[in-house]
Amino acid sequence: MALTGLQTEYVGTKGRLFRLALGSSILTVLTLGIYRFWMKTRLRRFYWSAIRPGGQPLEYVGEPLEKLLGFLIAVVFLAFYIGIVNLVLMFLSFSLFQGNYAAYLLSFVGVIPIVFYARYRARRYILARTRWRGLRFGLEPGAWGYAARAFLHWGLTILTLGLLWPRMTFFLEKYRTDRTYYGSERFFQGGTWQMLYRPFRPLLIGIVIIGGGVVTGYAGAILPALLTGAAGVLLAFYGLAHYRVHSFRLLTNAKTLGEIGFVARPSPWRVIRIYCFGHLIVGLLMSVFVTALLVAFGGMAAVVIGANGQFDPIEWSAMLPFWLNTLVAVLVYFTIFVSWGVLRHVFVTLPLARHYAETLEITGGHHVNNIVQRDRDDFTEAEGLAEALDLGAAI
Amino acid sequence: MIGTARNDSYAPPPGHRVFADFCDGRTAVVHRVDVEIIDGHPAAALCLTLVDETRLRWPLSAIRSIPDQAGRGQLVITSEDTPLARLTLSDTETIAVLRARCAHLGRRPPVRGRLRLLGWSLAALSSVALIVFVLVPVMADQLAEFLPPEGEKALGDTTFEQIRTALSGSKINPVMVCDNDGGAAALARMQSRLEGEADLPYPLTVHVLDHKIANAFALPGGRVVLFRGLIDAAEHPDEVAAVLAHEIGHVVNRDPARGALRSAGSIGVLGLIFGDFAGGAAVLFMVERLIEATYSQKAEAEADSFAHRSLAGAGMSPQALAALFERLRAEYGDSDGFVAHFMAHPSLGNRIDAAREAESLRTGPIRPSLGEQDWQELRGICRRRPA
Repeated sequence: MALTGLQTEYVGTKGRLFRLALGSSILTVLTLGIYRFWMKTRLRRFYWSAIRPGGQPLEYVGEPLEKLLGFLIAVVFLAFYIGIVNLVLMFLSFSLFQGNYAAYLLSFVGVIPIVFYARYRARRYILARTRWRGLRFGLEPGAWGYAARAFLHWGLTILTLGLLWPRMTFFLEKYRTDRTYYGSERFFQGGTWQMLYRPFRPLLIGIVIIGGGVVTGYAGAILPALLTGAAGVLLAFYGLAHYRVHSFRLLTNAKTLGEIGFVARPSPWRVIRIYCFGHLIVGLLMSVFVTALLVAFGGMAAVVIGANGQFDPIEWSAMLPFWLNTLVAVLVYFTIFVSWGVLRHVFVTLPLARHYAETLEITGGHHVNNIVQRDRDDFTEAEGLAEALDLGAAI
Repeated sequence: MIGTARNDSYAPPPGHRVFADFCDGRTAVVHRVDVEIIDGHPAAALCLTLVDETRLRWPLSAIRSIPDQAGRGQLVITSEDTPLARLTLSDTETIAVLRARCAHLGRRPPVRGRLRLLGWSLAALSSVALIVFVLVPVMADQLAEFLPPEGEKALGDTTFEQIRTALSGSKINPVMVCDNDGGAAALARMQSRLEGEADLPYPLTVHVLDHKIANAFALPGGRVVLFRGLIDAAEHPDEVAAVLAHEIGHVVNRDPARGALRSAGSIGVLGLIFGDFAGGAAVLFMVERLIEATYSQKAEAEADSFAHRSLAGAGMSPQALAALFERLRAEYGDSDGFVAHFMAHPSLGNRIDAAREAESLRTGPIRPSLGEQDWQELRGICRRRPA
């Protein structure tokens, strides 16, 4: 088996990704958001090509203009829904309930099936534009079926207070996987939904402990309640990462592609470490940028006003012309916006992709050679709906 | 630049064979191929020799590179004639030569369906314009008529708190509502003199907010908000009364309820277009617009004429409105705050004239809206009581 096991290499570097993400983010800001379709395409090309199962890179062949087209198509339909439906809901909510919460709730619930539908379609588009060793991936149509199932599974999960969460994870993954192709070969999701209860335990125990803390709090013991609650939250936080990582691992290992199998070995601790340290670095660097900008502004203010008194930015900004204040506010806003996005790519998304890639092995690799090409899935709408609804904002 | 830097003298050292990974785009097999640049006829080409001695010729002018690849020191190329095929090169020398000699290495495939893209762009723009400028306003106008008074009050209360928060920039410490006893009593006297003509399903509530902008606006459910800056800028109580009468006119015509419903419909649509990147900014922008409350010209004219009638009816001069407009324009120039809001309406001159003409509506003698002492109390409405 070792002879035909294909290890996955990861070749992406932080420096190249930083330059790519920074340049395209700035262009996105300058073009009022239009360049985001190009940015997404270029980032995906980078991320895909960095992952190399058996030494051969994945390739992303999606085009920016087809994303723009899909987005425009989605806008035509969604604008009606969002404009008219929100207006009517707001009216009804204020007429009947004297508040806007009912409107927000209804408009949220109404959009849920569309969200699942959009997710499935986005996945179909992305798989149709992904190649490895020259062959296309693909996903069969079935977005409404997916939306209906997801809606029901979520309902069941909420009704059972989360106890059927693993069942939902498994069946939604099975629905997607069993419709996924690599070239002429179809994926199959094996295993059972009960197998996901083992990784679910830490999260479950954490939630039970939080519940215990709440009960203790109501009984009047404040300090023990706080301590129990804090312990519960920490455990639940770990439990969530544990569940995410291990359910991914179990599901991946139970997938087959004809004679080909998969072995994934990601580590929840590693994932948590990347999340926490990554975001810490992002936060530190962002505060450095914003401070630098404000100090520069302070310097400019001192020159403009000729102030030599105490450092009081609020007093100064009141004395400055309107356009200068606006300029600074816009600069700070976009510095925060751009640096958050760019640094997250560099310090969170890339290390996570690296970890998941490097811990993935393909077994029975020699069978890959028997697979042949599949037809192109034209798919005019691309991922327009998901884009318009702001889903999967990362990549 | 790349096309001119040709290196025709390159020839691989004898016996130096270069290998690369080749996928033909038909099967998943990765072929190890021997590559060689041959200067032959009809044109120079890259020759790929497979293990089974099959030879493929890729004319150099047809070679395209795959952009944004993460692998360092590698070049992934394809040929225009076989767009599904991929060749991954790692040999530094060959890569350098190909970069120098392939004139169209960076050319992207031609854009297909330009017309369709244009068509959908127009469709998206017109559907958004139709919704924001026609459908939402029409529906908002219709629905505002049916909004029950309690619902309208709730809408106004929510908006009022949002605006206080937005102006101060913090939820913890929203802009203060000025209500010291003397000032509030003076304001109430002014309000009751103007209320005569108003027929409202809910009581009118007038607030002064402690903020320096010289502005005022009306909210759904009978709330009128004056800013301290406006009272500071006025030289006579009748000028404040004139602005108050104008805003009461909006309340009577239910303009604020329409405006609020309109923006509820428009915010989401605008957020949809700009995506998450400017979504936050778009929402802020809309809140600003709520404050500016740019109603239609017709609505402004009607509020003005309501103000003329109630000022005249209460024995005040409608000219006070004209006086305030003119002085603010002289003081702040044409491009700042309050005046800019009114300047956005091309008919400002007409409105000043109309206020002058309305002088004829007044029959009795002039009685100022407030006595000198009340006026001083109103000017100090934002002063905190001594502890």
